[in-house]
Amino acid sequence: MSPEWGALKMKTLKGIVFAIGLALLAATPAAAQERSARKQGFELATGSGKRILVFRPSVSVGSQSTGGMFEPNGDWTEKATTNIRVSLERLQSRLGNSVVAAPEAYGDDAQRLQEHMALFAAVSQAVIEYQFFRGNRLPTKKRDNKNDVFDWSLGTGVASLPGAQDADYGLFIYNRDAYGSTGRKILQVLALLGPGIAVKSGEHAGYAGLVDLKTGDLLWLNADGAMGGDVRDAGGSEKRVRQLLEEFPGADLKPAQ
Amino acid sequence: MNWLLLAGALSALSAIPAAAQKAAVPPPYAGVYQPQGVDEIGWWRQDDEDERTLAASPLVIRDEKLTGYIRNVLCATVGTGRCASARVYVIREPVFNASMSPNGTLRVFSGLLLRMRNEAELGAVLGHEFGHFERRHSLNLFRTQRSGTDLLAWSGLLASMAPSYNVIRVYRDLQWSVYGHLFRYGRDQEREADALGVGYLNQSSLPPQAAAAMWQNLMAELEASAKARGLRKPNFKTVAFTASHPPEGERAATLAGLALPDGSGRDNRAAQYRAALAPWLPLLLEDQIKLNDFGGSDYLIQNLAADGWTADLWFARAELYRTRGNQRDFANAIQFYGNAISLSGALPAAYRGLGLALTKTGRLIEGQAALQKYLQLSPDASDAKMISMMVPGAMRNE
Repeated sequence: MSPEWGALKMKTLKGIVFAIGLALLAATPAAAQERSARKQGFELATGSGKRILVFRPSVSVGSQSTGGMFEPNGDWTEKATTNIRVSLERLQSRLGNSVVAAPEAYGDDAQRLQEHMALFAAVSQAVIEYQFFRGNRLPTKKRDNKNDVFDWSLGTGVASLPGAQDADYGLFIYNRDAYGSTGRKILQVLALLGPGIAVKSGEHAGYAGLVDLKTGDLLWLNADGAMGGDVRDAGGSEKRVRQLLEEFPGADLKPAQ
Repeated sequence: MNWLLLAGALSALSAIPAAAQKAAVPPPYAGVYQPQGVDEIGWWRQDDEDERTLAASPLVIRDEKLTGYIRNVLCATVGTGRCASARVYVIREPVFNASMSPNGTLRVFSGLLLRMRNEAELGAVLGHEFGHFERRHSLNLFRTQRSGTDLLAWSGLLASMAPSYNVIRVYRDLQWSVYGHLFRYGRDQEREADALGVGYLNQSSLPPQAAAAMWQNLMAELEASAKARGLRKPNFKTVAFTASHPPEGERAATLAGLALPDGSGRDNRAAQYRAALAPWLPLLLEDQIKLNDFGGSDYLIQNLAADGWTADLWFARAELYRTRGNQRDFANAIQFYGNAISLSGALPAAYRGLGLALTKTGRLIEGQAALQKYLQLSPDASDAKMISMMVPGAMRNE
């Protein structure tokens, strides 16, 4: 039998090999990578009073062990979830939009919602991989044959999701933070001072996407593999959400002074 | 120096669970458990999110009767107090697998249900998984992995400060021993879960001998699968350095030794198991056949037919032969479809397969008659239009 916490175990076993491989390597961010795109012709004027339905954000916060493994932290994740929600509401209200949390779904609705969450994750991964990364761009998404084309859709099925009837746009949020543990930070410093190896400490990745709830078209996507702002406190999470909403249509989210 | 470093490394890792050599008497049930400490609370939260996703996943077979039945087998195995901490999800995936995660999510894969022959065998697997859960193995493995990789990170740093040939060699040795230790730690957890699984069965009303019987049956299936491919039969004794579980041969022997001898007279409830799974058998067999494992699938079908062939089993065997698709297979398939039809007239898909197999062997007139019958019996089938193209005159009838 190849049973028990199978997924978990495989994940962590793979994680080990990967983490050790990474531990002593400098991770160079892909400088050529784009981070944000907006569907052609889509504008959202400030103060247009649109209703934005926020689907359950995927938030996980933890620390990074000395060897580079992810250590989930329940308390931090809890705090980050609340902080991100509060900051999101505040920032969107400054844009003149109202934010509604998607209602709890039951039965068939829950399954349809789950499928769309998975679909959004797959589509955004495809965007990040095949559109944002120039060298990897699909023929249909190339600049030279289609200028500024950002043409992705989840299909009209989104219109039937619970809560979609009363809102204009749907917002999906993914956020994953691994804060370097004390051991990891010491390793980072010593590796740099000693043999001069760059060790990466911490990982802060996130993406957010806006979907038209009538057509299912992806209107805007922003993905960032290295974000600032400490989601564990209110001020930091405001900075984080501001980064997540960078280049949000119609947005000029200067820090509130 | 080499040796010292290794010894230090291994003692830095947490202790290996004692590979219990006799069936553990299950510890007294502690009641509802809540996670403790940063690591466990963190993993449970992650696990809770995963379970939320799983609960709404299209892969889950949502049948209250089936899920309830599996739950009852779990309760009969581990006792009613313990089984309250598990939630059962049946996942449609034709592999021999089950898992129980830290927060009590019990995933049972449909391929497991096809391979179990009675409640006692199913209970043996569920008990094993429950053993992992009760001993909180995931958490301990995580901690062991973390200390192992921490150690490697520090020693990697030290090694790169003085990168001589010897130092690098020692570092590589250390790397291998840490990896080896982690895999062995995992296998020892499997042994502990095996012992606990039999421990539950010993105390239940089900025969604990089923645990060993189940492994022997799985080995026979693997052997049949290898034989059909013309491979040497699998070696059940090797311990690969990176194997995640102890070898099947060792497990069958150990489990047989752990079982309470006077438990062998108990009722393994094979009839009840067959009755509960009967409505699901066609689906389970269909998924199994699509795995393209001729030897293994044929072994399973023949095993299920040990106490009498049914229309479903003949049909599954016919499909297995027809989808392998050699000319000689069609000849066999025609015979098997015939057997299925003679046992039950209410199997439209048997006429479809029969018609296709007859057509392939050049018996067009009989084939078209069978396909015509299929269209009559299920005019709304998703492939009705395609099949009707093979039957002259059928298009006009629409």
